[in-house]
Amino acid sequence: MADPQVLVEAIDLQKRFRTFHAVKGVSFHCYGGEVFGLLGPNGAGKTTTIRMLTTILRPTGGTARIAGHDVVQAPAQVRRVIGVLPENAGVYGRLTARDAIRYAGRLYGVAPDVLEARIVEIAEALELTPHLDRLTDTFSKGMKQKVNVARALIHNPPVVFLDEPTSGLDVISARSVRDFVLRFKQEGRCVIMSTHIMEEAEKLCDRVMIIAGGRVVAEGGLAELKAKTGLGLEEIFMQLVEQTVQ
Amino acid sequence: MIRAALSWATRRWNGAAAGEDRGETWRWIRAIYGKETLEAIRDRRTLLVMILLPALFMPLATLGLPYLEQRQQHLIQTVTPKVAIMGESEGLIHLAYTTRLITPVRAKDPVAALRARTVLAVLRIPPKFEAIVARDGQAHVGVLYDASDSESTAARTRVVELISRYSQQIVALRLAARHLNPRDLLPVVLDERNVATQRQLSGLLLASLLPFFIAMWAVVGGMSVAVDLAAGEKERGTLESLLVTPPSREAIVLGKFLSVVTASMGAVIGVIIAMMVSLRWGYPYLLHTVKQLDVSLPLGTAVLVMGVALLFSALVSAVQLALSIYARSPREAQQFITPLYFVTVFPVLAVQYVSEWQRSGWAYLAPVLNAFFAIRELLLGTVNWGHLLLATVSSAFYAALALEIAIILMSRESVVFRT
Repeated sequence: MADPQVLVEAIDLQKRFRTFHAVKGVSFHCYGGEVFGLLGPNGAGKTTTIRMLTTILRPTGGTARIAGHDVVQAPAQVRRVIGVLPENAGVYGRLTARDAIRYAGRLYGVAPDVLEARIVEIAEALELTPHLDRLTDTFSKGMKQKVNVARALIHNPPVVFLDEPTSGLDVISARSVRDFVLRFKQEGRCVIMSTHIMEEAEKLCDRVMIIAGGRVVAEGGLAELKAKTGLGLEEIFMQLVEQTVQ
Repeated sequence: MIRAALSWATRRWNGAAAGEDRGETWRWIRAIYGKETLEAIRDRRTLLVMILLPALFMPLATLGLPYLEQRQQHLIQTVTPKVAIMGESEGLIHLAYTTRLITPVRAKDPVAALRARTVLAVLRIPPKFEAIVARDGQAHVGVLYDASDSESTAARTRVVELISRYSQQIVALRLAARHLNPRDLLPVVLDERNVATQRQLSGLLLASLLPFFIAMWAVVGGMSVAVDLAAGEKERGTLESLLVTPPSREAIVLGKFLSVVTASMGAVIGVIIAMMVSLRWGYPYLLHTVKQLDVSLPLGTAVLVMGVALLFSALVSAVQLALSIYARSPREAQQFITPLYFVTVFPVLAVQYVSEWQRSGWAYLAPVLNAFFAIRELLLGTVNWGHLLLATVSSAFYAALALEIAIILMSRESVVFRT
């Protein structure tokens, strides 16, 4: 049984697609009230790792637990306690923002009376209220991302996965999403976030894990990593990735 | 087969409900169905296919083409065609003028005139025609016409009619000269009477038209919805957001499947209504030939036809959904689904030409054919309950099988992330 404070625990997680070994034994844990960054170049295995933890992909080796539920043995229970913002997530263009968030709430089994109040609350927090009854097709990319954040949080999950949450967003929208990540942390959620923007990781993450070629090349607190190497995060990242490639 | 289907349903139901209560599964299915249907209704393509196209297309197909055909027939019957006469026969030409079957004309080069369509046929009368006839001999006349031209073919019919009447006149004269009664040549006269009821005639008309349109619209009606809610979700990047929510793959596929069936059946109902309106009120108004026909579909028959059509629609929808789940993109899904249209519509067209199969049980077990043989029997009023039961059970089995394949595909990582 996982430590009660540990909300996400991955042990030697592996994923092989036929001949391609995408993730070669990733282990880490993440606590409530913590933002954990998954860093790595494109194709490093970040998204595959997140997909295994969110039960979309079945690990071919190792194990993982989310809030005490095994991702292979109890995927349905895992899906109830997580909120996920996948990479390049789209929106249902012919639904209004309210319809889209309500739909997610129904799928998560939020009671109807609680659901409407929760929609209002989340919309308020995300500054979506004036746009709730507009079709999401008419939204900017940043607004669409806010709708997806609202959908991921409608059931108030203790664990949140964000896969490249600011990818493709303008400066203002990206900042708004970052503010939200900090807010999740303050609310005591466990946030696992993949990014390739080092500046973002430095601002938001308590601990990071650098993955390259499907392997963990470094893991620890930012201060700890910097003190150990005497380098900034970007330099550490570049050195480690280059070493792995060589 | 029934036992296998029931066993599958029990296994599927118990499997789907493992670790989740059935009430919750239904709530998920309802939520997904509601959302997909709302999106489909807000999509103009769905409304176009479900309402606008049947409303416009059905009157055109059921009334427009027969009306144009009737109009052409009317023109052919009322306009007296110009026929070039080669040779002489005062009696024959006189008969042509009095009967107004043809308008005899003279042409320098009758064959060239026929090719130039200044005349529609050429009547070649042999030399000494009148003398041969007067001597009680047999004369050979010829008709030249252009078989590739319907008006020329009609002119030929007029010439044949003219020659026949002229022949009859001569026969009457010859018999009179021998003091014989023309009735002696016709000792037996046939009186015909059609005993088919209005219901049967109406059934025959419906059986020749309705199955084709049901098949066509069952496929077309659900096509855009099926493409949109699986391959479309992949392309928009919304599928992953759905798969990380609690509903099982079974609940997701069932919710989407019901939405495709709704669109498909919506189009089928639309087309049946449009067709019945066209046939019942448009036919007698526009087509003089069927003025006496009272086209109707009794409620009981309509309910059974809808029931069988629903099972067919379920099969088509499940196949469309499975293909859409498998496809990388909406474009690829469209490419996969388009042949399905031909695969279903051609057998349905063939059903009316292989009526001998209707008597054998296997025809009610073959996918697609089963539903349309049963619908044909229902419309013709010759329903065999055993056949109907076979068709119903086998159609339900095939639909369930296709749905099972869709669920398996949705559960496979290699399919979901096949981009």
